[in-house]
Amino acid sequence: MAEVKLYHWEPNANSGKPMLALVEKGVPFASHYINMLEFDQHQPEYLAVNPQGTIPAMFHGTRILTESTAIMEYVDEAFDGPALMPSDARDRWRIRWWMKFMDQWLGPSFSMIGWCTFVGPSLAHKSPEEREAMIARIPLPERRVAWRKAMFAEFGEEELAESKRRIALGVRMIEEELGKRAYIGSNQYSLADINIFNSTYMLPVGNPELTSPELTPNLWRWLKTVYRRPAVQRTWAMGSGRFTDRFNAIMGEFA
Amino acid sequence: MSAVLYHGEPNGPSLSVLAALEESGLDIETRHIDLRKGERHALPGVTDAVALDMAVEGEGPVLVVDGEAMSEAVFLAQYFDEQAGGAGLQPEDPYAHWQMLMWCRQATERLSPAVAYLGIFASDAPSEARLSPIASEDLRARWQDWRDGAIDEGKAADSRAKIAQFAERTENQLADGRDWLMGEFSIADLETYAWLIGAQELEPAAFEGKAALAAWMERVAARPSVQKALARAQTDNPRRSFAPGPEINRWG
Ligand SMILES: N[C@@H](CCC(=O)N[C@@H](CS)C(=O)NCC(=O)O)C(=O)O
Repeated sequence: MAEVKLYHWEPNANSGKPMLALVEKGVPFASHYINMLEFDQHQPEYLAVNPQGTIPAMFHGTRILTESTAIMEYVDEAFDGPALMPSDARDRWRIRWWMKFMDQWLGPSFSMIGWCTFVGPSLAHKSPEEREAMIARIPLPERRVAWRKAMFAEFGEEELAESKRRIALGVRMIEEELGKRAYIGSNQYSLADINIFNSTYMLPVGNPELTSPELTPNLWRWLKTVYRRPAVQRTWAMGSGRFTDRFNAIMGEFA
Repeated sequence: MSAVLYHGEPNGPSLSVLAALEESGLDIETRHIDLRKGERHALPGVTDAVALDMAVEGEGPVLVVDGEAMSEAVFLAQYFDEQAGGAGLQPEDPYAHWQMLMWCRQATERLSPAVAYLGIFASDAPSEARLSPIASEDLRARWQDWRDGAIDEGKAADSRAKIAQFAERTENQLADGRDWLMGEFSIADLETYAWLIGAQELEPAAFEGKAALAAWMERVAARPSVQKALARAQTDNPRRSFAPGPEINRWG
């Protein structure tokens, strides 16, 4: 069988989505760690794999795949193992809807706050010239703008407030959705759960004002269920540093 | 199961979804509404409105199934295809399927925001538009900009560039002489065509000298499904009918 080679960073957010899908399916893969904070994703070796310069990317034999949600859909269709999409057409529609909502509306807001409060400051020790050189190598124009703001603390108050508004509203919407069904969009664990979990797993410590057993009982129940999945724990054991510490701390409470 | 598809003039997402419905052969009632008057925000019989209110796509068609509002043109096309037991609108091979989804994603993230942005400012905002029932704050802000004529020149320039890039990209995709974008006919053809015909009205120069693109647009237009969809028009030129679409990508 053709070998799977995955380029990923920490199991966090988009980077972790294909990892979680592969582990759920029981598909072994060769792991290539791309250090996002060292800007490995904009080095020529990685741009040869994914010209967009975003993580993750996956080889399956000679096929190259990019875009975390689309990679997950491929993984689910191309490999045996438990189905990560239900068979009912309306459930499938709902799962796609929620994934797009996360990828294009809610996810970028989480990213902006994360880059503003953690990713940008962690690069502040580099000289302005070094930072400029890093920015010059970024292929996507939107990302060049975003990285500049992160590295030079230039995010505007209005856009940060808009991202916070979206996060608060998005969390309320997920809470409501999980009051309708056991999982996101359907009654079985699916790609939408992987997608949304990977940007909400940190809420209990990152945003306790939005997420708690009292405020969001359905979200809390679902987080606990997903945290306890063996594939989720195995994937997160591959991580390191701040993200995995946060995962483990919350896992400690849910165990 | 009760199902009604509410759609606007056959342009952009309403065109691709109507054509996909025809291709699927499903028997679903369709009702014409005026997206440019905000009628989408006051549909009867909706008990679950989240996908209507918060669609990333903005003003697109809405399928109401047993009270649940369903949105997003590409996913509605996939729904019709799958509900019909496979109507040939999606490749079966997982890699070809991934390629189609990636293409559609580029179209919905880069082409459609650009066309919708230039499109609304090229047409008058109807004074009757009632913004009060629009639940999404960011969608409402896009309506307000339209009504106030508050066009952002940076976004307009970016939109023109994105249209030119997408026309180029489509021409290149067809360069090997293939009939359809993915080889076999698929949702990618409908989604791309539905936005490019409106784009051509707005930015004709981007289409000049592109023979493969022009021939492909004629092939798509000649499909009976597209003809039937276009026949639902209630205005003289549906290609000029636009309502606020997706926001311009703010993260890449
Ligand atoms: N839409 C892309 C986004 C991927 C993405 O932004 N990944 C992050 C890591 S989780 C990244 O590569 N950031 C680095 C950068 O933008 O330079 C996907 O879902 O694959």
